[in-house]
Formats: sequence, C-alpha cells, structure tokens
Amino acid sequence: MISLYTLILGIALLLIGIYAMLTRKNLMKIVIGFSIADTGTHIIIVSLGYLRGKTAPVIDAAVSVSNAVREVVDPVPSALVLTAIVIGLAVTAVMLSFIVEMYKKNKSLSIDDYQELKW
Amino acid sequence: MVSPIYILILSLSVGFLLSIFDRAGRKFSLTAFYSVLTFNVALMGDWLYRLAVLHVPTFVINTAGFNAPVSINLELGVAEALVLFLANLTGLMAAVYLFDKFREGKVSSLILYLLLVMGVNGLVMTQDIFNMFVFLEILSISTFALTTLKKNLKTLSAGFKYMIAGGVASTFFLLGVVFVYYFAGTLNLGFMTADQFSGIGLIALFLLSVSLFIELKPFPANGWALDVYQSVDSGIVSVIAVVNSAAIGFAFYKIMPLLPSSFLTAFGMAGIVTFFFSNMMGLKQENAKRLLGYSSIGQMGLLLASLVFTIGIEPAVRYLIIGGLFLNHLLSKAGLFWIAGIVKEEKIRNWGVLRNNKPLLVLFGLFIFALSGLPPFAGFWAKWEFVKVLVDSKMFFVLGTVLVGSLFELIFLFRWFTMAVKENADELEPMASPGFSRIFPVSFFGILAAVVSFGAMRCFYGSNWLQVLPVIAVLFITLIDSLPSKVKGFISLAAVAGYGYYLYPLLTGNIQLFFGVIFIAGSAVNLISTLNRKNQSKGFYGFLLMMIFSFGNLLIASTYLEFFLSWEFMTLSSFLLILRGQNAQRASLMYMIFSTAGAYLIMVGFSFAPALSSTAALILSIQDVNLPLISFIVLAIGFMIKSGSVGVHIWLPEAHAEAESDVSPFISAILLKAGVFGLLLLGIAYVSNAPSFDVFYWVGWIGVITAIAGAFMASFQEDAKKLLAYSSMSQVGYIVAALAMITHLGWVSALYLAFNHMMFKSALFIAVAGIYYRTRTRKMYEMGGLISRMPWTYMTVLMSIIAVSGVPPLSGFGAKWLIYTAFITKGWYLQAGVLFFASGVSFLYLYRLIHTIFLGQLKYEHQEIKEAPAWFIIPQYIFLAGIMAISMFPNLIIKPLNAIAMHYFDSSIQIDGLTVMSELGYWNGNLVMYVTMAVFAIPFIMLLLLKGKTQKVKQFNIVYAAERPESPQTTHVAHNMYAHLRKSLGSLSLPRVQEFWNSVAEWSHTLGAFFRRVYTGNGQTYLLHIILYIVVMYAVMGGQ
Amino acid sequence: MIKNVAVLIAVIGLVAIFLPIISGFQERDELNELAAQYVEGSINELRVPNVVTSVIVTYRGLDTLGEVTVLFLATVGVGLILKGKKEDRIKISASELLETTSSVLVAMIMVLGIYIFTHGHLTPGGGFQGGVVIASGFLLLLLSNVSLKMNHSIMHFVESLSGVAYVAIGVAGIVLTVGFLNPEVLPLGKFGNLLSAGAVPVIYSLIGIKVGSELTSILVTMGGEK
Repeated sequence: MISLYTLILGIALLLIGIYAMLTRKNLMKIVIGFSIADTGTHIIIVSLGYLRGKTAPVIDAAVSVSNAVREVVDPVPSALVLTAIVIGLAVTAVMLSFIVEMYKKNKSLSIDDYQELKW
Repeated sequence: MVSPIYILILSLSVGFLLSIFDRAGRKFSLTAFYSVLTFNVALMGDWLYRLAVLHVPTFVINTAGFNAPVSINLELGVAEALVLFLANLTGLMAAVYLFDKFREGKVSSLILYLLLVMGVNGLVMTQDIFNMFVFLEILSISTFALTTLKKNLKTLSAGFKYMIAGGVASTFFLLGVVFVYYFAGTLNLGFMTADQFSGIGLIALFLLSVSLFIELKPFPANGWALDVYQSVDSGIVSVIAVVNSAAIGFAFYKIMPLLPSSFLTAFGMAGIVTFFFSNMMGLKQENAKRLLGYSSIGQMGLLLASLVFTIGIEPAVRYLIIGGLFLNHLLSKAGLFWIAGIVKEEKIRNWGVLRNNKPLLVLFGLFIFALSGLPPFAGFWAKWEFVKVLVDSKMFFVLGTVLVGSLFELIFLFRWFTMAVKENADELEPMASPGFSRIFPVSFFGILAAVVSFGAMRCFYGSNWLQVLPVIAVLFITLIDSLPSKVKGFISLAAVAGYGYYLYPLLTGNIQLFFGVIFIAGSAVNLISTLNRKNQSKGFYGFLLMMIFSFGNLLIASTYLEFFLSWEFMTLSSFLLILRGQNAQRASLMYMIFSTAGAYLIMVGFSFAPALSSTAALILSIQDVNLPLISFIVLAIGFMIKSGSVGVHIWLPEAHAEAESDVSPFISAILLKAGVFGLLLLGIAYVSNAPSFDVFYWVGWIGVITAIAGAFMASFQEDAKKLLAYSSMSQVGYIVAALAMITHLGWVSALYLAFNHMMFKSALFIAVAGIYYRTRTRKMYEMGGLISRMPWTYMTVLMSIIAVSGVPPLSGFGAKWLIYTAFITKGWYLQAGVLFFASGVSFLYLYRLIHTIFLGQLKYEHQEIKEAPAWFIIPQYIFLAGIMAISMFPNLIIKPLNAIAMHYFDSSIQIDGLTVMSELGYWNGNLVMYVTMAVFAIPFIMLLLLKGKTQKVKQFNIVYAAERPESPQTTHVAHNMYAHLRKSLGSLSLPRVQEFWNSVAEWSHTLGAFFRRVYTGNGQTYLLHIILYIVVMYAVMGGQ
Repeated sequence: MIKNVAVLIAVIGLVAIFLPIISGFQERDELNELAAQYVEGSINELRVPNVVTSVIVTYRGLDTLGEVTVLFLATVGVGLILKGKKEDRIKISASELLETTSSVLVAMIMVLGIYIFTHGHLTPGGGFQGGVVIASGFLLLLLSNVSLKMNHSIMHFVESLSGVAYVAIGVAGIVLTVGFLNPEVLPLGKFGNLLSAGAVPVIYSLIGIKVGSELTSILVTMGGEK
C-alpha cells in the first residue's frame, strides 16, 4: 500500500502548492507554491507506476534477465516524470526571471502591485 | 514527398545553431530563420494538396523504428495539414511583420519564435498525449519568453499572469495524462477508446480535457489572456491569438472522441457562454487591442461550441462550419492585430488617423466585415450552416445566445469601423507610413480572405457569377477609381443598363418583372442625379453598383441562401453608402445594427423552412413551401425591420437624412422596397399554406400604426430630408398594411402604392438634393420663396406631393381609392379609419414641405440662387412623366398588377378600357384628370384676376405674443410649424420607441461593464478563477 | 473575506475532485501490456539494462528531444527576459570554507556527472541527471568565486553543437535504419557493456553535455553576468 500513501502525499503537496499560489502575495512565494504543486504532481506520477513488491526497472544483480517482466515496476511513469521534472524546472526558471525583471521595474514583490491592466 | 518530421528536424537543428549563425552576422541567422519558416509553409502546402486533392491516405510517422503504441507516432491527415498550413502561414506572416524587431533585437527571439512554430507543428501532429504535453510546454515557454519582446511593466506583469495560468493548466494536463495512462495502459490516442474510462477513469479524462480547455480561455477564467492581448507586441499577439489557439484547439479536438457526451455538452455550453459574455463585455471596451482580445476569446468560444454541437452531422457540412469559422478568425484576427500594431493608437476613438492610409483603411474594413460574418467571407457561410444545424437539432437556447452574441460583436466592430472612417482625428499626430514588412502581411491576408471566400463559395455552393456580381462590381470600380467621377457615373449607368438587359429574360414571373422595374429601372434613373458629383467620389460607384446588383439578385435568388446572400450584400453596400454622409457615423451604425438583427431573424426564419424542391426563383417557388409558424413570425419581423416598421424604425430617419443627398433617394425609394419584397415573399407562402396563427393580421396593424406614427413624426420635422424620411416610413406603412390583407385588391393596391412611392419619393429626394446643393441647408425654416429661383424643382415637388397626398387627379388618388376599397372589402374598418386619419395628417407635412421651402419670402442669402443642375432636374422629370402616365392611364399598371395578384387570388376588379371597377364603385383615371383640371381652372382664373390686390409683407414682421424669439429665424412661420399640434398630439409620435432602444443599448453596456469587473487585473484572482472554473466544470459534469 | 471563502471553496473543490481517485486507487500487481513490451524489448532488442533509459532515449525519444528543447528554450528565454543594462550589485566574496571545499569538490562532481551520463544505459541515472550534477559543480564554482567570468560563447557553442549532434543522430536513424531516433545506427554490442546499446550512450552523453551547459548558462545569466 506504499503507493497509496505516496499518492496521498503527492495530492496533498499539489493542494498545498495551489493553496500557496492562491493566498501568498509575494511573487517568490507564488513561484515556490508552483514548485511545490509541481513536485506533488511528480510524486503522483511515480506512485501510479509502482507495482506491489517490485523493484526498479534496471537489470542488475537484483533482477534476472529472464524474469525481468515479473520483477520490475512500470518504467513508463519513471520516464515521464524525468521529462516532467525538467520541464517544471524550465518553467520555474522563466518565472523567476520574470520576477527579477518585474522587481527591477516596479520595486515590489507583491502581486497586488501588478494590476494596472484590467477590465 | 518529404516527410513532415523534417519540419521538426529542421526547426530544431536551425534553432540550436541560430546563435552560431548569428555570430557570422544577422543576415545569416535571418536567412536561415525565414527559410525554415517558408519551408514549413511549403511542405504543409504540398501535403495539403496531396491529402485533400490527390487523396493520398493519412501519413503516419513512427519514430524510433517501432510502431505505435510502443513509440510515439505522428499523423498527418487532411485536417492536420489544413490547420498546420494555415498556422505555419500565419507564423511566417507574423514573422515578416516582426522583421524589424527580429533584425534589431537579440537572436534569442528568433530562436524562441522558430521553436514556437515547431511546437505548434508537433502539437497538432502527435498522437501521444504525453508528447502533446511536451509540445504544449515548448509552445508555452517560448510564448512566455516572447511576451517580453517589447519589455515594459505591462508586458512583464501580463506575461507573469499568463505563466501562472499556463503553468497551473499544464500541471493539470500532466496529471490528466498520467491518470489516463494508469487507466488505459497507453498514452497513444489511437489505442484509447472511450469505454476504457468509467467511474474514476472519467476524472482522468476530465483533467485532461478541462486543462486544455482552460488554455483556450473560457469566460471567466481568461483574464490573463486579455492582459496579454492588450499589452504584448501585436506580432506576437497575433501568434498567440491565432496560431497557438489553433494548435491547442486542435489538440482538444483530438481528445474529443474520448469524452462522454455530458462533458462535451458542458464544454459546448461553456464555449457559448464565453462567446456571449466576451462580446457583451467588448461593448464597453475602448482599447483597440483589448477589444480584439475580447473578440478573439469570443471567437474561440464559438469555434469550440461549433466543434461540439456539430458532432454527428454530415462531415462536409461540419468541416465547412468549423473550417469557415476557424479560417475567418485566423485571417481577420491576425490582420486586425497587425493593423492595431501599425496604427499604434490605443483608443479606438482615435483611429481616425487610419484615414491617412487609405489602403490600410480598406483592409481594416475588410477584416471587420469578415469578422462580422458578412458575405462573401468564410464566416458568413459557416454562420449560415451553423444556424441551420442548431435549428435542426432544436438547440434554440444556443442559437439565441450565438445570435445575440454575434450582434454584440458586430456592434463593437462596426462602431470601431465607423470611428475610423468618421471620427475627427485632426488633433492627433498623423500615422507614420508603415514599412513594407508591416504592410505586406496585412495585405496578403486581406487578399487571402477574399480569395478563400470565393473559393469556398464556388466549392460548396457552385454559385454562378451573377451571385458574386456585386463584389465584382466593387473590385472593378476600384480598379478604375482614379477616373473622374462623371466617367465612372456613365460607366455605372451602362453597367446597370447591361445588367438589366441580362436580367430581363431571367425574370420569368410578372412579380419579378414588376420589382425589376422598381429596383433596376428606378435605380438607373436615380443614378442620373449622381452624375452631378464633382469630386472624385472614390468607392461610391462601386458600392452603388453593389447595392443595385444585389437588388436584382434578390429577384432571381433560387435558394434561401442565395436570397440571404444578396440580402446581406445589399445591407453591407447600403451601409457603406450611408456611411459616406458627412455626419453619418451614428446613423450608419444604427442602420447596420438594425439591419443585422433583421438579417439574423431572416436567417433563422429560413433555417426553419423546409427544403425547396424547385429550382425556380424563390419568389415563385415559395408558394409550394409549407413554412412553419415560427418562420412566418421571425421572417415578418426581419423584413419589417428593413421596411422601417414602427418600433424598429429608429434607424430609418437618421439613415435617410444623414446619407449623402443623392444616396437618400436610393435608400428611401428603393431599399425600403426590398423589405416590401420580402414581406410579399412571405405573403405568397401564406396564401398557399397559412399557419394556424394569423400573423398577417398583426403585420397589418403594425403597418397601420407605422403609417400614422410616421405621418405625425414627419409633421414635426425641421429638416426636409427627415420629413421625407418619416413620410417614407408612413407610406411604407400603408404598403405593408395593404399587403397584410392577403386579398387580391390589397395586393394590387400595395404594389400600386409601392410603384407610385418609388417614383414620387425619388423625385422628392432628388428635388431636395438639388435644393441642398444650392442652399447648403436642409432646415426648411432657413429656406422660403424658392419658387422664383427654382421653378422646375418647385414643379416636381408640387406634382409629387399631389401624388403622395392622394387628392385627385394624380396617381396617389388611385392608390388611396384602391386601398380603402380593399380595406372595406376585407372588413378591416378600424384600420381603414386610422389610415384615413393618417392621410389627413400627411397633408400637414406635405403642406409644410412645399410652403416653407417654396412659398413665402425669399431669404436674402438666396437672392442669387440658381435652379438645380440639370443632372438633378432630368431624373425628377422622368419620374414625373411616369407619375403622369399612370395617372392618366392607370391601367398601364393596374393591368399587370391585376395579373400578378390573380396568380394568387380570384380577381376582385374588372378593367374596362380606362375604367377600373370594384364591387364598391369605379375609377377612371382619365376622367378624374379632366374633371379635376376643370375644377382647378376656376380658382386659378380667380387668382389671376386678383393678382393686383395682393399685399407684400416684410420678412420678419411677425411678432409672437409673449414669446421672445431666440433668433430672427425662429420667428419664421416655418419654424416649429405645428407647435400647437405637437403639444396636443406629440405623444402619438412615439418618442418612447427611441427611449426604449436607448435603454436597451444602455443596459447591454452596463451589463458588459458589470461582468468585466471579474477581470480585476490581479494574477492571483485570475488563478482563483481558473481553479474555481475547474471545480465548477467538475460539478457540472459530475452531476450529469 | 469573500476571497478567502472562494479560496476555501476552490481547495475543497479540488479535494472533491481527487478524493475519488484516492479512494478508488488500487496498487497494481502486474505490468500492463505496453510496459511489459518495453521491459522485454529493452533487454532483447536494444540490449539496454536500464529499461527507463531505453524508454526515454529510444521508445519515447521524441519526448526527450522535446524535453531538451524545452530546457534550451528556457535558457534562451531567460537570456531574452533578463537582457538589458547590467546592474551594479554588491558582491560579497565567498567564505573561506566554501572556497576551499569547492576547489576540492568541483572536479569530483564533474567526474561524477560524466560517470552518470555515460553509464545511463547501465545503471540508474542518465543525461539529465548527469547534466544537473555537472551544472551543480559549476554553481559551486560560481558561488565560491563571485568574480568568475564564464565564457558565454563557449557555452552556447557546446549547447548548440550537442543539440545538433543529437538531431543528426536521429536523422541518421531515418537514413540508415527504420526511423527517426532509432539507436541502431551504431552496433548494439554486448548486453551490459559500456559500449553497447547502439547510439543510446552517445545520445545520453550529448544530452548530459547539453543539459550541463544549459543549466550552467541559466545560472550564469541569472547571476547577472553578461
């Protein structure tokens, strides 16, 4: 049942992250919220790939070549999560550089100070 | 045959290498950059040709040497190729538009742009949902970064909001992807089926679809997008609004087959809601790019709705609707965003600067028309078919919302257009002339929009060239527009004559022939007065010919669509003609709004109608059609809007009065008859298949009320043209009332009156045009005594008002005689009484017209005035001759009308030589003429004898008791002539109608202003909207 | 106040969406058909012991190419966004502790990074992981030596060339074998050897180099150096 707990953990992180994004005024904290949510998503992905009592899908001493199919967890989510992590990183980097520039222009990190466009 | 994977390969390689190329010089990097973009377009064009024309099978690319689902595969079918061809083309053109930025900015922007376009290609072609996520992120990240191409606080904060929204949406998409994998065991769309998802599996689909949907900016979770549209560089915005949306929309389209119908319905409704609210909020918007943003979002909503609501219909029609809406949005929105970038004025009120650049103004108009769904552009065909689909599937709520939303959109687009054409821009800095790289994409898309429209038209409807003649006329006149006005006038006259000659054999029914005379011959005579034009009048003759040809095409239209097409051409051309008037901004806008509302009703009415079995002209074949009641009602209202019936008449006086003075005769004498023609069409259907509810009884009453209200309002006008306008309204009221009787005599009298009205109202408007030409005023109290200076014009007016008023001996008498006979035989006594009263009122305004202009004393400033130019006099006298002819020999016209009406009813009159006999009596026009002449001779001789005893009075020696005049003119008897009547009966002139429509307008604007308050500008609030939107959609979908 | 309530509703709503997933979640016992195919294919066809690697580099190679592109775009994007005037900023020199440790550690970190990406097909790890480790080495350098100037041109050059080389190997797949990104352009070799599995280790090494240089480049740009 380990994957159920990690799934719950992942969803909890996701919600915490979104809650942070919805309530924190500081731009940096919003981005941190995004990262937390993103991490939660990654944990969810990995949880979904877990198989009861199986090991990592790498053929070594622990996994025999002949019986590999019955001994390893699903390799697909592991592959997906890697891509997802890198993409999350890229998005975060771009977000942070926006904040740097916004701060340079407006000398404020509060999201409430960036609402000149409306209606 | 080059595999489309090379688009990805080439873009990536060049993208990776661009910064190295750039070290050798910007020339190299730019060359590589544009080459790849061009390559993409060419490759997709080639594939589109192969797939759509040569019908090669869908091309599948398996990567890594394995078949799907083991490896990721890409697919290129017709739909993909079409979307990608257009997306790449737009991408290329936007890149051309951005050429200056790309040449001067950092090489980074080139790389980002190139890979953005690659992301679009990948997103559309890939069949793997995780791969979709990757391409979506490529697209998003490059777009995020490119929003800072023009870097300031606004773009940065808009970009940040965009990232927050986009980031969260793609997180949810990713979750959807892995949950789908968990349930379906595959990531490949080709290997998923809807039945793999049930119970909590549906949540996976929900996350997958709702997050893509969020990226498509549904109301109200779309504040971030509006901020981006408003602030970011126009070139990039055009890509976001068009290319990105197309790709993401296509991704949504790809996952649609998996979704259960409850999801689809919810998404479709959400699309409709978005369309409606965006356009409503657009009403209040004054910033040009944000306005375009609202429109864009609305269009995407409509497109999504059309994706959903056309499921299950015939594929060809479905692709026409979706493709038409998409193409229309793509071309016109990109074009408009580019123009917005060139104009640089943020406020739409300041767009008058666009007049410095005429070609750009023309393109601007073209895109506005296309976006409003006017023919011949793609949106018109799509909208027509979509309405039909909605009617057939009984989705009336959706239908109503779409139409009202479209009307909102049309209002703000046309308001913007009229501002650009008319709003004063003298104090603004003139627009700098744009470079070639900026003007080229706009022109290219403008031409493409036109070409594609014709293509679609031929392809789907095989329309003959006659149907597109109105547009050809505009193009032709544009080509020769540098010729002097008079030359163009004669060419146009020849064109109308040639058209009439060509049309004549096609008018097989008497009824067509009769309206052909009104529409074509009437127009030709009226055209003579335009020969007086001295300035170059660019564009004028093009629109005029367009309108005249549309009139003619209405007669021979053999399907509902052809009829509606000509109807819309007519509306558009008459709008453009009215807009030419000096102060016609408001008038033309109002005309357009009312006409479009009418047109929508007509469209709906036809959509309810059963299919036609005959290929004859609609006016002939309609009698075999069993129209449902709803068609009768909406069509009647639609046509009555065009004929200016009371309640929806408020466009009429303004449009007639503010149009150029030689345009007004066309509007009043001929255009209004198109509404009559429509009602007649409806009447014919009614004769053979009357519905359970007597629609025409109420139409008759509306006609009667229109007649009396128009007459009253005409009496209180100071402006000669407004007086004539209200008079037209009143006269057309008579015609409508007579038509509505649906009896033989009713129709004879209606058509008789229509013909008569065409002649005398043309004559009167041209007469007033001549007076205006000399005096430069339309205010009647500023005239007087012109009889001595303009006797020829006086004669016209005198004869015409005799013809209007219905006193013997002229044709109006016959009209009145016929109409009252008809009413009495029908048994509509009350209506007859009211009309009789209205005739009395019409004496008031007719008297006012002739008295205040021609009688009394000549004003000092008019002492030297000359008779109107011959170009005005000639048509007047042609019409007068016509009036005289049918007055003397009414049977010239009664006979054919009798024949027309006998086609539908038993005849109720006998014609014996010069005498017409009904069951109530007889009328001999010839005899009446002689008798009246004799009666007139006596007082005339008396007057001659008394001539020496008249006393001359100085001009302003009238003193009003206890009233101090503001200026000498207001003491003139002609000023506020019927003040006493106005006090007692003014309430009958229905000022409340005006108030009603004003409050409708105000309310829609206020509602728009209210709803747009959700867009607080705060990125966090926008995120909250998104999350709540997801939750609400979940509740809606889960609940079903 | 209203906003707080709305936030509460939003979060509760999200819980309501995810709750059925948690309550209906069942840990799986067996690989699905597709995953089983991957495990067998990786061992028998590609001779890659690390199944995740064969999924990433080969079966879902297009994703990985896209992923590299995303990172590349982030590098370029950050460069575009942060362009502009250099700011005067106060630079505080690193502590002695940091300087000393980094001089010892950087070389080891780099070697570890290279090891990770070259052995990506054999052991857990791969190009991305290795690249990140290398970038962390550079980060340590930047932190310990605040006035260090990294050569942007070289980094761009490395980035570009490794990217193009990756694409080129993919195209070689079309020309020499059956499809884009097929690893059999190079001999598959013996299962479990360093030089085996066709182009997989080459691709992973290129990715490692590319990721390392890109992340470093982002760090340098964010550090405010031009």
